[in-house]
Amino acid sequence: MAEASAASLRPGRLEGLDRAAPVWLLAAAALVMLILLPMGWLAYISVTGPRGGFTLAHYARVLGDPPLQKALWNTVVLAFWSGLVALAIGAPMAWLSARTDLPGRRIIQSLIMASFVTPPFLGAFAWVMLAGPNAGYLNQLYRGLTGAEGPLLNIFSMPGLIFVVAIYTFPYVYIMIANTLGLIASDLEDAAAILGAGRLQVARTITLPMVLPAILSGFILAVLQALALFGSPAILALPAGFHTVTTQMWSFFQYPPRAELAAAFSIPLLLATALLLLAQKKLLGRRGYAAVGGKGGQRRIIRLGPWRLPALAGCLAILACAVFLPYGILLKTAFARAWAQPLTTANFTLENWSFTFLHSATQSAIVNTLELGVLTACVGAGLATLLAYVTTRKLVLGHQVLGFLAVSPVVIPGVVLAVALFVAYTRPPFLLYGTLWILFIAYLTKEMPVGYSQADATMRGIHPELEEAGRILGAGRLRVLREITAPLARSGIIATWCFVFIGVIRELSASIILFSPNTKVMSVVIFDLKEEGQFGAIAVLGIFMLVMTFAIVAAMQALLGRDVMGARSSSGSG
Amino acid sequence: MRYSPSQTRFGCRLSLVLLVSALIVSAVPAAAADPRLEAARTEGKVVWYTSLALTSSEKVAKLFETAYPGVKVEVHRTGSQRILQRMMQELQANIKNVDVVHTSDAGHYVLLKEKQLLMRYTPAGVDRFAPGFKDRDGFHYGLRATVNVIAYNSQKITASEAPRTWKDLLDPKWRGRLVTAHPGYSGVIATHVLALVHLHGWDYFKALAQNKPMLVQSAVDPGGIVASGERPVAVNGGDYTFYQLKKKGNPVEIVFPKEGVPLVVSPSAITSFAPHPNAARLFTDFIFSREIQQVLADTEGLYTGHPEVTYPADRPKLGDLKLLQVDPAELEKRTEEIKTRFVEFFGA
Amino acid sequence: MPGVVITGLTKRFGDVAAVAGLDLTVRPGELVALLGPSGCGKTTTLRLVAGFMAPDAGEIRVGDRVLSSPGTVIPPERRRMAMIFQSYALWPHMTVAQNVAYGLRFGGTPRAERDGKVDEILRAVQLSGYGARYPGELSGGQQQRVAVARALVVEPEILLLDEPLSNLDASLREEMRFEIRRLHERFGITTLYVTHDQAEAMVISDRAAVIRNGRVVQIGLPQELFERPRTRFVAEFIGKTNLIDAVADGAGSVARGRLRLRVAADGLTPGTPAVVSIRPHLIALGPRANTRTLPTGANTLAGTVLRASYLGDTVDYQIALEESDVVLRVAGPTPARAHAGDPVTVAVPTEACVLLPADD
Repeated sequence: MAEASAASLRPGRLEGLDRAAPVWLLAAAALVMLILLPMGWLAYISVTGPRGGFTLAHYARVLGDPPLQKALWNTVVLAFWSGLVALAIGAPMAWLSARTDLPGRRIIQSLIMASFVTPPFLGAFAWVMLAGPNAGYLNQLYRGLTGAEGPLLNIFSMPGLIFVVAIYTFPYVYIMIANTLGLIASDLEDAAAILGAGRLQVARTITLPMVLPAILSGFILAVLQALALFGSPAILALPAGFHTVTTQMWSFFQYPPRAELAAAFSIPLLLATALLLLAQKKLLGRRGYAAVGGKGGQRRIIRLGPWRLPALAGCLAILACAVFLPYGILLKTAFARAWAQPLTTANFTLENWSFTFLHSATQSAIVNTLELGVLTACVGAGLATLLAYVTTRKLVLGHQVLGFLAVSPVVIPGVVLAVALFVAYTRPPFLLYGTLWILFIAYLTKEMPVGYSQADATMRGIHPELEEAGRILGAGRLRVLREITAPLARSGIIATWCFVFIGVIRELSASIILFSPNTKVMSVVIFDLKEEGQFGAIAVLGIFMLVMTFAIVAAMQALLGRDVMGARSSSGSG
Repeated sequence: MRYSPSQTRFGCRLSLVLLVSALIVSAVPAAAADPRLEAARTEGKVVWYTSLALTSSEKVAKLFETAYPGVKVEVHRTGSQRILQRMMQELQANIKNVDVVHTSDAGHYVLLKEKQLLMRYTPAGVDRFAPGFKDRDGFHYGLRATVNVIAYNSQKITASEAPRTWKDLLDPKWRGRLVTAHPGYSGVIATHVLALVHLHGWDYFKALAQNKPMLVQSAVDPGGIVASGERPVAVNGGDYTFYQLKKKGNPVEIVFPKEGVPLVVSPSAITSFAPHPNAARLFTDFIFSREIQQVLADTEGLYTGHPEVTYPADRPKLGDLKLLQVDPAELEKRTEEIKTRFVEFFGA
Repeated sequence: MPGVVITGLTKRFGDVAAVAGLDLTVRPGELVALLGPSGCGKTTTLRLVAGFMAPDAGEIRVGDRVLSSPGTVIPPERRRMAMIFQSYALWPHMTVAQNVAYGLRFGGTPRAERDGKVDEILRAVQLSGYGARYPGELSGGQQQRVAVARALVVEPEILLLDEPLSNLDASLREEMRFEIRRLHERFGITTLYVTHDQAEAMVISDRAAVIRNGRVVQIGLPQELFERPRTRFVAEFIGKTNLIDAVADGAGSVARGRLRLRVAADGLTPGTPAVVSIRPHLIALGPRANTRTLPTGANTLAGTVLRASYLGDTVDYQIALEESDVVLRVAGPTPARAHAGDPVTVAVPTEACVLLPADD
């Protein structure tokens, strides 16, 4: 009896209370540092006058100034239209891929993945060389073929910007819709077909309504991405003489800096993203994917018949725009002395490579990017896994709140986050500006939603009974974690690590505000080079960045042995 | 490596005298260089924020590193306005990173001097420089100079069609065919804008904006845009960049407009808080030395304040050009106005 | 071999009490089935016994050790139990042998003996030679046996099973029922077995506890539960039955409208509402005209056949009684004695009319 009670006292207490405390402490600290403190400062300075009093003058200025209003309007137009175009591209491709006998599906999926991991600003830069109205390669081709005077395409325009943004955000739409289509059983569509509906009619009247929530939420996702982009507008809009909210906010940081205006400007952007996310959540319900009717039975493939090849051609055309053409022109520029001239032996050079890599800023930027990438990925994957474990196993009270907090940064566009972090951490008590730490915090916060979703999916895939079986047979909680959970979660954790790493490599919108000359990262160096017009160096660094990214993706797929695309459920910004 | 002044201009009869005086002269800087070199080596590097074109900056840096092994040059190249912004942002966060700051916006140095952020240092031999290259208080000196010019693509535009004056650019026939750099990024362009405001007033830029020029940032960029044929005419830009491209075989031609060309003298200074002061001084002496100033003139197409530097034959002499000068104090005072009105007219 | 004593066990999730003051005693070596519909709290009870949750009130004792009480719970790894899960919970990254051997590492079995024990238990569940395979390579039935082997090899004091057969197809389920009963008789471990399938509980258990709304409603031998249910719920849950709401109308009988039945109970206050449960197979059926074949002394009622469904081994009759709204279900042997529309007499023995409390 005595032995029983002595043994029963300690573990019970330990299990209940102490386990919760460190988790909550960690979560609270992270929450404060990453979100509350910066957002608090942001709100504070947006309403603080130069002499410290409360004022709404900044808001008045920001919302009443015609150029700034124009920037807001441009952003709305950009976001809406690129969302629409992304939808127009992504939805049909998803349908073709998930429900028909489209040939070459696996290749198309890989290419979409390539489009997914390509940084949009790099794509924008490539398209400058493809569709600059005079020197652009495609325009030159067009003029050569048709003898026309004017250009076919002018990428330095709002339609051009919408196009580039859409071809790099449509993968989000694709994933969302393809996943949903995979859940709809064929019998619902068969019912219509038996009654005489043709293929297209079935698609239109049966499949479409059921996929509608996924379509709408994919549209919202694409819009959210477009809202937060900085690089593409900076490359395509500024030369054409118009601003978007992100480029405008960045310009508020020229000397003398007007952080308070940037702060006031952030709030409408923040409200817009919050509203859109709320709408998306309502559409999808709690599960995060569109719940559809039917028993989820067998899905039969729809035969395209004579439409097979045209459909394939269409898909490949889009992927040419997103992948083949831009990568091709980057390669050419990297080896060319004069980027607008054809790549003859006279024009061929390796100078761009030596110049770029011998440039001291490049070297330190590569080191910084790798350091930050590895650090953020390790801490991010670890934190995300821990949080996902705690929430899926319901280990502490209020675990739903933890889960929500882990995903909440998705509401904050990158540039707003950067402004908030800048304001919070360029003053005491935490003076982090000028160190890699401020970038680390920005990246960690920004990538946490993606990391957490992946870790959450991983943990949900491990049935809690697997752990309980170990415990009842005599293994303690830590041993179970080590011997049972960890090996089973290994590939998921690696996937989380890779997603976070890739996200860090291509991040620009927050880096461009938070970096200092000593803490440049690769994307910032590319942007600097762009401002100086060093096309060759940009192409070299861009290729290097892409190679790095694809190496990670390939390693990940080899380790996991599965297609990463299907496994990902995301709502992160890029 | 010791510096030996070039000596073969004089007749053989004086060569012996010269040899002796040369030995004496070369001994002096050597003695002066030694203690600083040691101190510089201890410091290890000099951090240089420069708006000089990246290729040119890198070249200078490599020459210094070869001359003074053990002292690295950390080149941070970006536009003048960005340099000032980053420097001030760092200072606000109490970060003291930059040793030598070199921009093309003379107004910056008025500001920096006022805020006591510069170190008073006179590089060796600079007293002989042309007057426009020296700060009377000794805080900064003109490292290089260039003029803003018009440039055009000779394959797309014949010499007779090409614009000859700044006002020619307002002709509607140039609509959609122009490129301009930005005063919000570049000191060369900020100077250009102020000079043309003096010349033709702000209406000039209002009219120019009607021709919808392509907006780029750096004064180095228009050259590439013109050479590639993306826009055949650049409405501003440092003439040294166009010259370099032409020398490489690109179809770029320079026009020195009749009304005059805005002169941009780009100062260099050591910061008062420089973390590597000895390396900074060593570097400053180096870049103002005749050798390096000659390099800037020869391969980079720049003008300098050094009296002994010779320029390529195909470059007009500074003295022969009609120069439009801009007062640094005014540039500093009106910098906000310049940037804001430019954005107002051109949109971004 | 200890027994399990559960007293006043309560567990709340939010406002809902999944387990509400449950009392249960499992004798040493006994196999008790926890039987009930989904949501009744049987799985929660099992998990409380396993130590995965802490109770809000009540106590769980095994032998003379108090394992669970509010606020103090001995963790699962120290309870000397084993569990077989509905999903089997076999670790996919370990072989069958590694799965089975896992628990042996914590029980003080010397390494040299472990392999021997694994081989022995695999033989007992008829999976000799499967040690090197991975769970993913096995069929459902084989996986289930590995789960059983893994639980038995550690010689637990208490064995817990959570609907282990529900993922198998019907014929396999039947086979495994007997298999589990056989293993229980061989090893004699005190066992708690959760199931919603009453036929399963009848085959496997020594005693079955019917659970509803987090409480034990009736516990007893399968035969007791079937023949003498104590509540309406138990009567309906175990096997098929006819339930007639009636009112006591004198000693030993109840009435519903014009229908009067003599029942196997007395001491009924006239006027008390009651429910009569009559098992279909205990009712005899004969043609109206000729009642000689029917048992004497039973309640004889006249009726008409509404439907006679041929089920292969029995015939299921629906008889509408005369002068009543009651429709009796009767299970009779094949071939069918009567067909739809035939007038018949049903004989309901008094002992077959079990009286249950009206409120449940």
